[in-house]
Amino acid sequence: MTAIKTDALTKRFGEDVLAVDGLDLEVRDGEVFGFLGPNGAGKSTTINMILGFLQPSAGSVDVLGMDVARDSLAIRQRIGLLPEGYEPYENLTGREHVQSAIHAKDADDDPDELLDRVGLDPDDARRPASEYSTGMTKRMSLAVALVGEPELLILDEPSTGLDPDGVSLLREIIREETARGASVFFCSHILEEVEKVCDRVGILNDGELVALDTIDNLRAEMQAGATVEATVDAVPEDLDLEAIAGVRSASVGAGGDADVAGETVRVEVTEGAAKMRALRALDERATVADVSIEEASLEALFDEYTDAEANAGGPGADASAARDDATAVAADGGEGA
Amino acid sequence: MSFTTVLRDDFTNTRRSYVVLGVVAVLTGFVSLITYQVAEFHEDAFRALFDVSFFFFLVFPLILVPLTYLAVAGDRERGSIKHALGLPTTRGEYVLGKYVSRTAVAVGAVVLSTAAALAVGVGAYSGTPDLVRFGTFALVTTLFVASMTAVFVACSTLTKKRSRAMFGVIGAYFLLGPFWLGFLPVVSLNAVITTVADVLGTSVSDTTRGYISLASPTTAYLSGLEPVYDGVVGTGEYPRVTRNYATEGATELYQENWFNYLTMTAWGTVALAVSYARFRVAELG
Repeated sequence: MTAIKTDALTKRFGEDVLAVDGLDLEVRDGEVFGFLGPNGAGKSTTINMILGFLQPSAGSVDVLGMDVARDSLAIRQRIGLLPEGYEPYENLTGREHVQSAIHAKDADDDPDELLDRVGLDPDDARRPASEYSTGMTKRMSLAVALVGEPELLILDEPSTGLDPDGVSLLREIIREETARGASVFFCSHILEEVEKVCDRVGILNDGELVALDTIDNLRAEMQAGATVEATVDAVPEDLDLEAIAGVRSASVGAGGDADVAGETVRVEVTEGAAKMRALRALDERATVADVSIEEASLEALFDEYTDAEANAGGPGADASAARDDATAVAADGGEGA
Repeated sequence: MSFTTVLRDDFTNTRRSYVVLGVVAVLTGFVSLITYQVAEFHEDAFRALFDVSFFFFLVFPLILVPLTYLAVAGDRERGSIKHALGLPTTRGEYVLGKYVSRTAVAVGAVVLSTAAALAVGVGAYSGTPDLVRFGTFALVTTLFVASMTAVFVACSTLTKKRSRAMFGVIGAYFLLGPFWLGFLPVVSLNAVITTVADVLGTSVSDTTRGYISLASPTTAYLSGLEPVYDGVVGTGEYPRVTRNYATEGATELYQENWFNYLTMTAWGTVALAVSYARFRVAELG
């Protein structure tokens, strides 16, 4: 059984606006699926159709093996929703919001335990939700979503407004939920978070799914690879690293880590195995004092798919230019290995 | 289960609002004041209900506006509806829960204000207040309030913008209240009927006018209070009351009390049914 399956899902608003265009998507049982896209890509429209808030113009949505149009109530009994950008009932406390979900689902959860799990202080939990910060509202909404041990969690921008502790706790809860067997549909524009928690991602652009795979596979498909920076005592003269299979380019420049004297060799690779091949070749010819590796970030991949789609009609149409951009982004903002 | 969840949440959320405290306080205050003022001219406390009924007819629906116009439209605009409908709650349960919750608050205000009138009646009038008359008044007023709340919640259900909801509710109040009754003679339903009949070169019978004039929940409310003055109408004891409820020679259905109660019930039921039919397939994104 799949957690979510859309079949040629389409949504039009009026004659002119095609918000979602023939979306075929499958979120597998037990996985954490990241749903990405720039503003206006159609993410919210898709989520609203998955929840039955919007009627598809064409196509269908199945959630937990049930048709959304037919079995909406049974689906909502078995899912947990953290909606984006909503105001809670102003005169109800956080605890009362959680109790509301427990009551509606006829669940036997302890609201205090759930609120403690999401890190909402007991005193805060008894204050009117209108007094909450964005982060506190997110914590409360997460507690609501967790009521009844849902088989599927739909989290729309769950980390927005959370402090670092909250983000860390969110990751931990997602891991716990997937360990329990739940599936997670994780929609976020904080790509770093998606990269950390998601098994697979789907990238939506202009209403179309332009990428759907694991982040590693997307890297490989786009040959986004990684950037290896090695600080050496002296750069050998006829260093021909570009001849190594999988190396896209190599350059030399002063700098690198300020604490390490020497010159920096910068090698861009298109596949993981090329990193070690390039490093071994360099180590045979020079003394390597320091090494850093930056994988192409999800942000770089995201830019590559969405920019390439916008500029040239497809991610492969102008791959080299897109890759250059992606590598630059990876070097600026990617995680060091 | 979910109907009660919506009802409980909305009632709790509403009763903690300053708006509700204001509604109850204003209503109770004015009803007490009217009852006290009327004591100067009449011996029977129930006579004050005649004046209170006009206050209810004209002002209470306005007091209901802030209590009702955001019932659904406010949730849609704030996005709170995603909390309620993200849970296993049908749209029908949601609308019904909202309606019953808001009606419960409004009826609470009616009961409290009627009790206040009764209390003032005990102290300020020479005669002992007639509990049956006060009870009848509270019952008919409850039906009226339930009907108007349904119309207003229906207006709120039909739109997702609070400004449109406000416009709809105020418009419904004006149409069904002052316009229908003919509060301003030249801007009234009767004037429109007369004008249309003149333009078409025809006339409208008194019977037809009678049916039309009592086809609004507000006019039906005033007419439906006749049992409160049982035994008084036609005796000459209270001429103003007699003028309003003279039923001598009544032969038409609209002159029966049950017709008034049916009118109020029909308005509330149809308004909610129509709004639900639209809301059931509404786009909530």
